[in-house]
Amino acid sequence: MTRLTIAGLEKRFDRTFAVRGIDLEVAEGELVSLLGPSGCGKTTTLRCVAGFEAPSGGRIEFDGSDVTPLPPEKRDIGMVFQNYALFPHLTVKQNLSFGLEMRKVAPAEIDRRVADVLAMVQLTGFEARYPRQLSGGQQQRVALARALVIEPRLLLLDEPLANLDAKLRDEMRFFIRSLQRRVGITAMYVTHDQAEAMVMSDRIVVMFDGLIHQVGSAEDIYDRPTTRAVSSFIGLANFLDGAVAGGADGRWMLHTALGPVACGAGHTPREGDRATAMIRPEAIALEADAASPDCIGGTIEERYFLGNLADYRIRMADGSILQVQGEAHAPFSPGGTVGVGLAQARAWLVRDAAA
Amino acid sequence: MSANASLGRGLFLALVTAVYVFLMLPIAIVVALSFNSARSLSFPPQGFSLRWYVAFFQSEPFMDAFVLSLWLAALATATAVLIATPAAIYYVRHGGRWRELFRLYVLAPLLLPEILTAIALLFFYYEIGIGTKTVVGLYIGHVVVCLPFVFLQVTASLYNLSPSLEEAARSLGAVPLTTFRRITLPLIKPGVINGALFAFIISFDNVSISLLLKGIGTTTLPMQMFDYLRWGSDPTTAAASTVSIVMTLGAVLLVDRFVGLRAMRY
Amino acid sequence: MNGLSRGKLLLAAPIGVALFVFLVLPYLTIVVMSFRVPSTTAAYAPGFTIANYAKALTDELYIGTLVDTLRIALTITVICLLLGYPVAFHLARTPSRWRGLLYGLVLSPLLVGVVIRSFGWIILLANNGVINQWLVSMDMPRVRLMYNEFGVILALVHIFLPFMVLPLVGAIQGIDPKLEEAARSLGASRRRVFLRVLLPLSLPGIQSGTILVFVLACGAYVTPMLLGAGRVHTTTTSVIQLLEQFLWPFGAALSLVLAVVGLLAVALYVRLSARWMRGLA
Repeated sequence: MTRLTIAGLEKRFDRTFAVRGIDLEVAEGELVSLLGPSGCGKTTTLRCVAGFEAPSGGRIEFDGSDVTPLPPEKRDIGMVFQNYALFPHLTVKQNLSFGLEMRKVAPAEIDRRVADVLAMVQLTGFEARYPRQLSGGQQQRVALARALVIEPRLLLLDEPLANLDAKLRDEMRFFIRSLQRRVGITAMYVTHDQAEAMVMSDRIVVMFDGLIHQVGSAEDIYDRPTTRAVSSFIGLANFLDGAVAGGADGRWMLHTALGPVACGAGHTPREGDRATAMIRPEAIALEADAASPDCIGGTIEERYFLGNLADYRIRMADGSILQVQGEAHAPFSPGGTVGVGLAQARAWLVRDAAA
Repeated sequence: MSANASLGRGLFLALVTAVYVFLMLPIAIVVALSFNSARSLSFPPQGFSLRWYVAFFQSEPFMDAFVLSLWLAALATATAVLIATPAAIYYVRHGGRWRELFRLYVLAPLLLPEILTAIALLFFYYEIGIGTKTVVGLYIGHVVVCLPFVFLQVTASLYNLSPSLEEAARSLGAVPLTTFRRITLPLIKPGVINGALFAFIISFDNVSISLLLKGIGTTTLPMQMFDYLRWGSDPTTAAASTVSIVMTLGAVLLVDRFVGLRAMRY
Repeated sequence: MNGLSRGKLLLAAPIGVALFVFLVLPYLTIVVMSFRVPSTTAAYAPGFTIANYAKALTDELYIGTLVDTLRIALTITVICLLLGYPVAFHLARTPSRWRGLLYGLVLSPLLVGVVIRSFGWIILLANNGVINQWLVSMDMPRVRLMYNEFGVILALVHIFLPFMVLPLVGAIQGIDPKLEEAARSLGASRRRVFLRVLLPLSLPGIQSGTILVFVLACGAYVTPMLLGAGRVHTTTTSVIQLLEQFLWPFGAALSLVLAVVGLLAVALYVRLSARWMRGLA
C-alpha cells in the first residue's frame, strides 16, 4: 500500500513538451486512471512514474520519499504493457518467477506464490505453456499475474486492454478492477477509452496537451466537467454560448441565442462575461407541444433509433442544431416540430482552457 | 489470352528459365567433373570415379589449405560476432544523433571494393612493420570484411525485438546486465547465428583478402585452387570445389533447420 | 554525458577502434603510398612525388586499360540488367510456394565462391572445353571463347547476376500489383504498363543494382585472371601485377585513379538517373 505523489512533473522531448506540469496525489489502494486522447501525455506520465523516462522537471515520490533518481529496477513497481511483453522464450511459470528470482526469493516460496497468483487469474495448469500458445486474454492475465506476484508497491498499467476485442475488454475491466481491490494495491491506469476509465477508477485524471484538466470521480467528470475539452471527450455534449447575467451560490443565468438557460458552475464567472454552457443530450426534455412552458420550438431533422434510446438532431430557430436523446419509442419523427426544454435542462458552465 | 500474349509469355518464361540454367550451369559442370574418371570433361562423360577426391584428401597442399581455411573462418567468425554484436545493440537501442553515420561506418567494408581493402591492409602492415605475410594479418583482414554481415543480421534481429520486453524485465527488478543476459541475448540468438553463418561463408570463400595477405607456405583453400587453376586444370580442384560447396551448403541447411534463415536486409 | 551513456558507448568502442585502425588508417596508407617514390630494391624509396599520378593519368597504356576496364564493367552491368530484370520480375510476382526455391537458386551461386564459378566457366569455354568438344563432335570449327574479353564478360555476368537480381526483386516487390491492374483497366497495353508504370517505379532498385554491379565489376580480379589469362588487362589486374613486382607507389596511384574515376562515374550516373526519373514522373 503506497502513496504516490507527482509534483510539478515536466517532460520535454527536443523542443516539444509532452508533459507541462502535473501535480497529482494517489492515495493508498486507490486506482486512478489517466484519460485523454493520443498525445496528451498520459503514457509519458506513467513512464516517468515507472522510471523509463527521466523527467525534465519535478519529482516522483513513493510514500514521501523521492524515487526520481532511481532506475525502474529499483522502484519495486509492477507494470502491465499494452502488448503484454511476455518473454516468448520462457514458459508461463518462468515468466512469473522472473521477478521473484530478481528478488532472491527461495524456490519453494516461488512455487507457492506462482501457484497462488495463477489461481487468482484463473490460469492454474498453464505453467508449462509458452506465451505463443495462449490467447490474447490469457496472455493479458499472465502479464497481470507477473506484475502482481512480486507484490510491488505500485501497479502501473499502460492501456493493457487495447489489443483485445470488445467483449473480452469488458470482461477484463471488471476482472482487473476486482483483483486490484482484493489485493489492495495502489494503481495507475492509462487509457483513451472513457467507458473503461469510468468503470474502473476511483478517480479519473483527464489530460490534454500535457496538462491535467480535471481530477474527479466519474460523476464529477461527467456532470460537472471543468473545461470544454473534458466535456467533449467524455460523452456527448451540446454547447451554447452566451452572456452571464446574474446568479449566486453556484447557479447562474446564461443569456443565449436560444433564450435564458439556468446553469450550474464549478467556478465563479463575472457578470456580463461571455461563457459557454454544456448540456448533455439526455438532459434535455422534449414535449410534443412546441408551445409548452419553458420550451423553445424546434424542428426534428433526423432521428436515430439506438435501441435503448432515440437520438434526435433538432434544428432550432437560430439555425443551430441540438443533439437530444430521449425515450426510444417517443412519437417524434423527422419533419415534426417539438418543444425543447432548454431552460430547465441540466446545464453546466465550462471553461475553455485548464485553470 | 490472345496468341500474341501467350507467345510473349512463353518467350518470357523461356528467357527466365534460360537464365536460371545459366546460373546453375558452371557449378553443375564443376561437380560433374569431380566425379569424372577421365582427366577432362568430355562429351559424353566417360565414367564415374572418386579418384579426384582421393587425390584431394591425399594432397598435402590442399589439405593444409583446407584446414587453414576452416580455422581462419572459425576464428574470424567468432571475432566478428564478439565485436559486431555489441555494435548492433548500440546502433538499435542507444543510437543518438550520429546513428546513421555510425551505420555507414560499420558497413564501410561492405561498401568499399574488397580488393582495395586488401591493398590498404597490405600497405598498412608493411608501413607499421608487422610484415605482410603473417597469418594474424590475414585473420584481421577476414574479420574486417566479415563485420558488416554480422552487424546487419544482429540489427535485423534486434529490430524484431520489442523494447517493451526489456522494459518488462527491468520493471520486474532486473538490472540492465541481467536483462541483457536473460532476455536480450537469448532472443537475438537467431540473428547472431545467421550472422555467424554469413561471416563463415564470406571468410571461407574469400579471395581478395587472402590473395594479398597470405603467408609464405600458408594459403587458404580458394587461393590454393586459384593457384592450381592458373597453371592448368586439374580435376582435383573440382573435387576440392565440390567439398567446399557441400560444406557451405551443409552449414546453410543446418542453420536453416535450427534457426530459420532470414533474407539479408540492407 | 552521464555515466550511463559512457557505458553504452563502450558497446560501440570495439568496432569503432577496430575499423579505425584496420580500415581507415590502411586506406590513408594507400593515399600516402601513392605519393611515394618508387624503388627497385624495396617497396619504395624515401621522399614524395606526384610522378605516379602523372604517369597514371598520361601513360597511354594505362589510360587505355582504364578505358577498357570501364567499358567492360559497363557492358557487364548492362547485360546483367537485361537478364536480371526479367528474372527479378518473375521472382517478385511468383506465388509464394515457389519463391523460396527460386530465391535459393538465385542466391546459391553466392555460396560457391568466385574461384569455383570461374573454374566452371574454364571447363565450359576452354579450347578443349565442353562447348568446343560439342562443336567438334558436330563437325563445326572451334570457337575462341576464353582468353578474350568475351569469356571474361560472360563469366563476370554470371558472377554478378545475383547482385543485380536481389535489389531488383526488392524494388519490384514494393510495387503494388494493383497499380498494373489499374493501368490495364484504363486501357494501357502491356508495353505501356511496363514503360510508364513498372520501369519508373522500379528505378530505385535498378539504380542500386547497377551501381553495385558496376563497382564490383571494376574491382574484379580472379575471374579476369583466370579467363583472360594475361590477354585481358583491367586496371585491377594491372594493379595486382604491379604489387607483385613491388612497384607499390605506382600501383597505389593507379588504384586510386580507378576508384576516383569509378566514383565520379557513379555520381554522374546518379545525377542523370535522378533527372530522368523526374522526367518520367
